[in-house]
Amino acid sequence: MAAPGSGGAGRAENGYGSQRRKGPGALATTYLVIYNVVMTAGWLVIAVGIVRAYLTKGSYHSLYYSIEKPLKFFQTGALLEILHCAFGIVPSSVVLTAFQVMSRVFLTWAVTHSVKEVQNEDSVLLFVVAWTITEIIRYSFYTFSLLNHLPYLIKWARYTLFIVLYPMGVSGELLTIYAALPFVRQAGLYSISLPNKYNFSFDYYTFLILVMISYIPTF
Amino acid sequence: MGSRVTFFEVEILDWKTKQQLCFLDKVEPHATISDIRLMFHKSYPQWYPARQSIRLDPKGKSLRDEEILQHLPVGTTATLYFKDLGPQIGWTMVFLTEYAGPLFIYFLFYFRMPFVYGLDDKLTSSPHPVVNLACICHSFHYIKRLIETIFVHRFSHGTMPLRSIIKNCFYYWGFAAWLAYYINHPLYTPPSYGQKQINFAVIMFLICEAGNFSIHVALSDLRRDGSKIRKIPYPTKNPFTWLFFFVTCPNYTYEVGAWISFTIMTQCVPVGLFTFLCFIQMTVWAKDKHYTYVREFKDYPSLRMPIIPFLL
Repeated sequence: MAAPGSGGAGRAENGYGSQRRKGPGALATTYLVIYNVVMTAGWLVIAVGIVRAYLTKGSYHSLYYSIEKPLKFFQTGALLEILHCAFGIVPSSVVLTAFQVMSRVFLTWAVTHSVKEVQNEDSVLLFVVAWTITEIIRYSFYTFSLLNHLPYLIKWARYTLFIVLYPMGVSGELLTIYAALPFVRQAGLYSISLPNKYNFSFDYYTFLILVMISYIPTF
Repeated sequence: MGSRVTFFEVEILDWKTKQQLCFLDKVEPHATISDIRLMFHKSYPQWYPARQSIRLDPKGKSLRDEEILQHLPVGTTATLYFKDLGPQIGWTMVFLTEYAGPLFIYFLFYFRMPFVYGLDDKLTSSPHPVVNLACICHSFHYIKRLIETIFVHRFSHGTMPLRSIIKNCFYYWGFAAWLAYYINHPLYTPPSYGQKQINFAVIMFLICEAGNFSIHVALSDLRRDGSKIRKIPYPTKNPFTWLFFFVTCPNYTYEVGAWISFTIMTQCVPVGLFTFLCFIQMTVWAKDKHYTYVREFKDYPSLRMPIIPFLL
């Protein structure tokens, strides 16, 4: 994105300066509005894709394949939000945002994409639907906030629906990781064992179990 | 001097509630903040001086022990604010704990305690000489640090919060266990380039340890008179200190060098990862120190970089 690059370059050299300012400047606001509109549209595309696939197939199984590409694209695109915080154009914590985005990206690529056998699982649909609804609301919330015209409905939806969407998403994520475990074990996926010249070992199976356990403190 | 001494009155208020905690009258004008801390401690035995933050403003910076009452911007009735810094631990204790841990933890793995690698390999030893060498180097590194803590270092601040030591110990002890696990593992693989690689690493290690020690001694000598004032360190006759021409914190430079050499010696990814994290942490500390010097001294040598000559 060239436009924010030029605005961002000045900001990068003077990162502290922009944090002292009251919110992003005009250029940053324009960029953010465009970003949030694009993301809203992207997740709407995913939503429509799910509905169309359901109507075509007549069942809600194995709908992942119909929205695989836009899901990967737009969920990965959210990594930009870490940069938004780092450059101070969004007043959120870099660490917190990084954590949230990375966990989504991890589930998208390191679990669902990597372990093909789980792509048919219903748990995938569970978290994809939760993410889709959440993100449509979230990005439209940001869009309207930036334009200083936030409809109450969006605000209500954001703070109320999460009561359902959050447990739904977490359940879908945990069930998917759990389903992936035997296949990871079988294929030795992303794992390296001794002996080797790096004198290092990593067991992805155990790592996934630790990831599942790490969900507990978030409750 | 005048024949009459005007005594000060000092009231100490809680920084948050503004409640008066203590009222001291007939305080000598040349009393120091240290004296006031001791007086306050008498009324509140649980708040020993090290955990007292005494400041002029409720949210201001803590006053140093050496500050003299009559030189402060206060009237003859001084109002000071107190904040409890929580339990404190002396730097010496901190370092001893942080360094003794890795030293002994490494031995648990080197001697292959039964609970580490399973009963089949318990108390066996490695056929690779480099594993013995690594143990010697690792132990030497931490023993040297313990000796420096006791005999060489002169700390400017007395203490650190107790909470930090728990976090630090997890980090240092945890990493020591992790890297010791792989180096002393029955399936350990010696370096790919064999003895050449090991010899090079040993020489680099010794140079860096000697360098690091030289710098610590040089820094300690800056405070031989017991003062706590910051002075610019300069190169001495010892060639290892000539790194001061190029960097502000050559002790950190040598330290990173020592860990790099240990990584080369053991060819072990966890060691490399630890080295990388050390490098990041020390770069942050070095930059901090560097910019403190630059702000304080107008004549600070302009050639110097924080940690890596000419680069960083």
